[in-house]
Amino acid sequence: MPRGGLIATGLVGLALILLPPLSGFHPYYLYLVSTGLLFGTLATSWNILAYAGQVSFGHAAFVGLGGYGAALASLHGLSPWAAIALGGGLGAAGAVIIGLASGRLQGASLALATLAYAEMWRAIAQNWDEVTGGGAGLIGIPALPTLPWPSPDVSGGRAGGYYLSLALLASVLAVFAGILRSRLGLALAAIREEEERAGLLGVHPLPWKLLAFGLSGFWSALAGGLYVHTVRVVEPDLVFSLHFSILPLVMATFGGVGTLLGPAGAALGLYLASELFLHPYVPAFHQLPYALALIVVALYAPGGLGTLFRRRRHGAA
Amino acid sequence: MALLEARGLSMAFGGLQALRGVDIAIEARQVVGLLGPNGSGKTTLFNILSGLLRPTTGEARFDGARLTTLPPWEISRLGIGRTFQIARPFAHSTVWDNVLVGVTFRARRGPRAALERRREVERLLATVGLLDKARATAGELSLGERKRLELAMALSTRPTLLLLDELASGLSPRGREEVMGFYGQLRGEGLTIFAIEHSARVLSRVADRLLVLDQGTVVADGRPEQVLASTRLVEAYLGEDDEP
Repeated sequence: MPRGGLIATGLVGLALILLPPLSGFHPYYLYLVSTGLLFGTLATSWNILAYAGQVSFGHAAFVGLGGYGAALASLHGLSPWAAIALGGGLGAAGAVIIGLASGRLQGASLALATLAYAEMWRAIAQNWDEVTGGGAGLIGIPALPTLPWPSPDVSGGRAGGYYLSLALLASVLAVFAGILRSRLGLALAAIREEEERAGLLGVHPLPWKLLAFGLSGFWSALAGGLYVHTVRVVEPDLVFSLHFSILPLVMATFGGVGTLLGPAGAALGLYLASELFLHPYVPAFHQLPYALALIVVALYAPGGLGTLFRRRRHGAA
Repeated sequence: MALLEARGLSMAFGGLQALRGVDIAIEARQVVGLLGPNGSGKTTLFNILSGLLRPTTGEARFDGARLTTLPPWEISRLGIGRTFQIARPFAHSTVWDNVLVGVTFRARRGPRAALERRREVERLLATVGLLDKARATAGELSLGERKRLELAMALSTRPTLLLLDELASGLSPRGREEVMGFYGQLRGEGLTIFAIEHSARVLSRVADRLLVLDQGTVVADGRPEQVLASTRLVEAYLGEDDEP
């Protein structure tokens, strides 16, 4: 595509992304799109780890740690911004801890370990009543402070949450784009392709994998923190839900593992298809898009949709 | 002192004794060939020297450093590079990136400047004749090209000792002649080479010295003409040289 065409497409895309809150979107729809953007962040975070060949079935652990960390900090008087950042740090630490298992476990074994890890945190949150509120969770989490722009009147005050979700997604995409062009990306790709060979070329795999776990956990936890400040409640079955482990995997697989935009695009498309078109009319079938997505990947696009458009990368030097 | 020295290396896989008390000493700048029938322990020895296996007993030293307790990345940084008999490039990455990995990570503080790394990758790809394939993914390469990429990857860590595992096997006569050319070039650059080849004829043309392994034991060690002159040895351990 010529340069002018690219710029025009970019500007139209930017307008489409920025306009919904300003064009009188119903607050409920704005909430749905915001949640879709958070899933985009989650799918991209999952993709950072998958780029290193580490498959996680347990990203709910990081969402939950971020959600509970942010909620508790907020309820104890910390500003929501600092609380969400703290939750992010907690999620990163939690991810690095399970990442240590990747020194010994690979493939399905590691995936099952991450699944068990998320369940472990859910059980802790369920039973540690005095801190987490037990199964009932915590309520009364403060709302996010009103942003100076746009005014709270716009779209029933949901505009701020929308733009924050958008900014979070943009930030994780920028980080992943940076990874793809960096020493980290080169190391992660080598580890993914053949860890033993990477070692023979001077790559010590574990520290690089832990860095990928940390980054992935951090952004997943930020999404968790933002989410609980949006819904203003946190419960074990909400934030440690299997949904937050499995949906990012399905979204990233459908969008194209290792591609920059595929997982986020698939997250938005699948989530909105489910919530806008199926949930209201045939609620029993609202999960259908995710199942269909996996069938499409298995039969027609083994690398995911994103790989159909991916240009070959040449050199990270 | 020898550059590479192994004493009493033994390796058992369950009940299978792959190596039995192997002693080796290789001087700097020597080209040493390793011959032996299938299953004689040649690749097991290379796996120990490159850190992929820990020996059951014995130890190996490289330039004074004890190898047998180090992980592969530390051994690579000490200056040992290796190729594999069945080429194992990063199949989904570009030829360029395959070589860039070693150039970037060969030391804790490898070349920082992108331009420096780029020039080195270009030089290595030019050396093995793959510069025009830099943008191809490694999985698209022919067998001969993958073997050449293996060599470029092994060289990307700037080794002083190269462990070459059957670089010439499976190639056409022309491909094998190219490999012979590489051996000559690497020797000219002063590298120490320890090479396994299926063909005794190939090795005898390039090596200063031949070692013969059989059932995990060194059964011959000497100049190529001496080792190959032993008709009994050639028949018993090497068989017919079936490559033209």
